[in-house]
Amino acid sequence: MDRALRRRLEARFSDALTGPVRQRHDETEIRIGPGSVSEVLRALHDEPELSFQMLLDLTAVDTGTQMQVVYHLWSPASGDWLRVIADGLSRDDPRVPSVVALWPGAEWQEREAYDMFGVTFEGNRDLRRIYMPPDYTSFPLRKDFFLADDAARSPGAGVQHMERTEAPVGAPKEALVRRTNA
Amino acid sequence: MTTTIPRHASADDPRVLLDEEIGVFEPVPPYPPRTEREAEFYTLRDGEMFLNMGPQHPSTHGVLRIVLKLDGERVVDLDPVLGYLHRGVEKLCENADYHQTICYTDPLEYVSALFNEWAPCLAFEKLMDVEVPPRAEYIRVLSSELLRIASHALFMGWMALDLGGLTPILWSFIERDEIVDMLSALTGARMLFNYFRIGGVNGDLNHEFMSRLGDWMSRATEQHAANIGLLNENEIFVRRMRGLGTLDTATAIRMCMTGPNLRATGLPFDIRRAHPYSVYPELEFDIPTRTEGDCLARYLLRVDEIKQSLRIIDQCLHQMPDGPVMAKLPRLLRPRPGRAYGAVEGPRGQYAVYAVSDGTDQPFRFRIHDPSFIHLQAVGTLMPGNLVADAMAVMASLDPIMGGVDK
Repeated sequence: MDRALRRRLEARFSDALTGPVRQRHDETEIRIGPGSVSEVLRALHDEPELSFQMLLDLTAVDTGTQMQVVYHLWSPASGDWLRVIADGLSRDDPRVPSVVALWPGAEWQEREAYDMFGVTFEGNRDLRRIYMPPDYTSFPLRKDFFLADDAARSPGAGVQHMERTEAPVGAPKEALVRRTNA
Repeated sequence: MTTTIPRHASADDPRVLLDEEIGVFEPVPPYPPRTEREAEFYTLRDGEMFLNMGPQHPSTHGVLRIVLKLDGERVVDLDPVLGYLHRGVEKLCENADYHQTICYTDPLEYVSALFNEWAPCLAFEKLMDVEVPPRAEYIRVLSSELLRIASHALFMGWMALDLGGLTPILWSFIERDEIVDMLSALTGARMLFNYFRIGGVNGDLNHEFMSRLGDWMSRATEQHAANIGLLNENEIFVRRMRGLGTLDTATAIRMCMTGPNLRATGLPFDIRRAHPYSVYPELEFDIPTRTEGDCLARYLLRVDEIKQSLRIIDQCLHQMPDGPVMAKLPRLLRPRPGRAYGAVEGPRGQYAVYAVSDGTDQPFRFRIHDPSFIHLQAVGTLMPGNLVADAMAVMASLDPIMGGVDK
């Protein structure tokens, strides 16, 4: 783990960061707002002292209160892993700029995040469902999508149809959804 | 009260009546295009036609459907349709406890299951700050390198099968069977092992495994040389593979590729060295690379990797320390809230898990990153311009496994 990387990131992105740079084990983590995704990722990719040229993973996280889009990058120059969390997307209409221009390989990963979470990646030309059927209407990895046995255990009206994203009738609105402030 | 269902004659046997009319399978979807790209793909120019391949086709490595747009016999464009094997493993894991997730990840890439178990173990061990005993780490390396050889051996057979050669797959299965029989003596299963645990492995090495391994190691190098001679010296094979589906390093990086497919373009990126985990820093091995980036390079690279894996296994057997194979852990794991990313180098590239904990006994978010998914995407850039028959060879050389693609 590279302490110098932390200082470099703090100096370079002081105005884009929405939280402190965190380091644990071999991972470095920064948080940015959805508005600065294109600009920050392009800088991380292009600038020679950072050169995070490999996108190892792209995914979304539903924290129960908001959406996150998480990028894992690797720098061949320093051998560091960097996690970029685009934080604070609204759950009703999560939108984030696409990174397909930088990594065409992100296209399917963005399609997957759209399919599972409903995150709209602006600029992705092929943003359609990838796993679920085209007439499917809900987003299965969201925290308010219950598996059948979870719905049966809920204080609502028994087993709900799998595709329902609303909480069961009569169920307390808050308690059912697992939330995290992670 | 009964309703009468209209009956239709089957196309295969007109005497058999069916409840629904079965028409000709139409590659064009019955709904309006959802995106710009889909609209562009499903618009035919002069002289072009669609060919539907799959969902079940002998050379699609699983249940994959590809809509090919052809101009004569050349592929112009293609649209892979995924999801036939989608089981929602991520959702299941988010509703299972930490130990249970490991057997859910097993059947993702069913020919290299141990690597699928390793990535979540690595991520969870980071979340919980568990230190794995060195003997367990050596056993993990030993068993997974064996499986890497089995997986690469199978790749060679499949690749030849997709080119129309039937013999190599039979030889591959002989080689693979020896290894999975060995592993079944160790783990109790031939395919879906469920052997790795958070903090170690399920059981120590036993006599049967060791004696089979010793027997196999004594002739593995020779046997390997004999097997690859079947293809390496086959002129038809070599001439068809050379210069086909060429990829350069910059494109491979931009396509997010990892593993042998990236190394075949010349970049020595191997997570075992680039971002070491387990006991790989203590082991000596080379990272083979090739510069051509074509199908033949991808094949030959895997041949070289088998030799390196044999080297690693040999060192593991000599350096294996004594001691426990499991760290001391409570039955019910409740890691502190946090995030961890665990990545291992599998036979196809980077297997990774991004785990988010919220302090309960179930992972809050469990993201599986699978290399097959990424590599299948590259088929879209490599296939256009090739003949239909070669298109399958290009796909086989990237070695996707549909169980991993569809999760």
